[in-house]
Amino acid sequence: MITYPQRVTLCGFGGQGIILSAVILGTTAVTKGNLYAVQTQSYGSEARGGQCQAELIIDKKAINSPVAEKKNLLVAMFQTAYEKYIPTLEEEGVLVIDPGLVTNITRPIKNTFEVPATQIAVDLGNRMAANMVMLGFLSEALGIIGHQDLLDVVKDNVNPRFVELNFKAVEAGVAYAKEHNLYYK
Amino acid sequence: MPIVKASENRVKTGVHFMLGNYALVEGAISAGCNFFGGYPITPANEISERMSQRLPEVGGKFVQGEDELFSIFACTGASLAGGKVMTATASAGFNYMQEGLGYAYTIEAPLVIADVQRCRGENYASQADVYQMRYGASGDYEAIVVCPSSVQELYDYTIWAFNLAEEYRNPVIVMSETTIALMRERLDIPEASKIDLYNRNYTTLSPEEYMPFAAPEFGCPDAAPLGEGYKTIYSLNPHDEKGSIDWDPVVFDKLYKRVCGKVRENADKICRTERIMMDDAEYALIAYGSEVRPAVEAAELARECGIKAGVLKLCNVWPVPEKAIAEVAKEVKGIFAVEMNMGKYVNEIVRVAAGRCPVIPVTKNLGLVHTGYEILEEIKKGVK
Repeated sequence: MITYPQRVTLCGFGGQGIILSAVILGTTAVTKGNLYAVQTQSYGSEARGGQCQAELIIDKKAINSPVAEKKNLLVAMFQTAYEKYIPTLEEEGVLVIDPGLVTNITRPIKNTFEVPATQIAVDLGNRMAANMVMLGFLSEALGIIGHQDLLDVVKDNVNPRFVELNFKAVEAGVAYAKEHNLYYK
Repeated sequence: MPIVKASENRVKTGVHFMLGNYALVEGAISAGCNFFGGYPITPANEISERMSQRLPEVGGKFVQGEDELFSIFACTGASLAGGKVMTATASAGFNYMQEGLGYAYTIEAPLVIADVQRCRGENYASQADVYQMRYGASGDYEAIVVCPSSVQELYDYTIWAFNLAEEYRNPVIVMSETTIALMRERLDIPEASKIDLYNRNYTTLSPEEYMPFAAPEFGCPDAAPLGEGYKTIYSLNPHDEKGSIDWDPVVFDKLYKRVCGKVRENADKICRTERIMMDDAEYALIAYGSEVRPAVEAAELARECGIKAGVLKLCNVWPVPEKAIAEVAKEVKGIFAVEMNMGKYVNEIVRVAAGRCPVIPVTKNLGLVHTGYEILEEIKKGVK
């Protein structure tokens, strides 16, 4: 069950849509869930390829410090980013990785979910949609945001040409959780 | 002074999850901003970007200048023409604006400047320019600087800044910095009918009777519509009530007493502070801008450790909210002055506290906002 505040890091490399996924998560929490959220980010000076991370805090009340030292959810979509941010995850926290890109687990976490988001996106025809697969999974497996709320916000935040692809990717993430019975309780 | 409601077509009423720089723009648009002149600089670029989209939608003008000097002088001109104007820059770019800013103070042009402070090159946060915002330009003047600490306040305080600029015919600076500028957060935009906007007074006199710098002792002059025969010299040089350049010491003295006095004498009206957990506080943290956030967290953590701490949040740093600071200094055993620089505004707090209690600086200049725990450690050291 999701508790508040949720202190989340999403990380990977530039171009994977890490920041967009944090924006969509935050927007859904605020505009659909009537919650409070703060999102900050950092990225390399390269537009693509550099390490990239977005931090998000979601709470039922207004949030003071915009950055949290310890996280209860880490979504890692690249090995080096995983290594950098895994020390910030609480022992009882939730780790979600893309096993195709995070191959060496240095710190076992009890609540670990492996979601081959990039491979699923490639199978759908565009690896760029891996972030949406991840969001679909987070919605279904963790219940962090509502399924329909997520689709509504995705529609408002992505280029109209890619809405259909992104919807498919979200649904694929949801389906992956259902098929493999991956639920955080 | 006429007070009107914001226009419905300018206000995006509702709940948003918005970038700080965008919220500042929405505040400006809600406040009636219809001219923006700017020159690119990180981390203020999203302000220009969104202004270039939003201003044409509401019939305003966006101009990208060739540099910062252009930006501030273009804004000053547009302001004299009756516009509600804004420019935005960041630390290094604000350096270049000082000449234009000094001119705007002296000719009493209402304008709003967003300074999104940065350090360590580009994308790192800082409050190191808090004195530059007060003393950057040469000459005698009083600065008005508001300090939002959240995305919501970037919206709210930008409206406040436009209102102050109109009310006092003075440039007003919105102090921002990387943390809040590039942060996304919940923003509740009210209905337009809930937003009061101040508009500068326009003269009712004929061009023949009108005196462009005639004003009460500590007030500001009525404006005149440009291009309708109210010929005025707007000079940086000392000028009399008619606007004629006059080096007479009496004219000089009168002008500067009024230009400074209109802010000084109204400081209590201008200044805003918020007392958080202060009622039973034995120690106070005084903070402004984004540092308010970890300060509140630190006060909560201190209370868990048995230290009764509270926060005085400064909504504006200039003019100095002296009354509120002095009151706190009387109430507590010690003040912690929290800021994201090597220790600057602490000097103002020491001055106002005037020995009533010790004032301990809590500083950090690493390009990052304090964490609550870092401030807590300083509190523990200071209380011992």
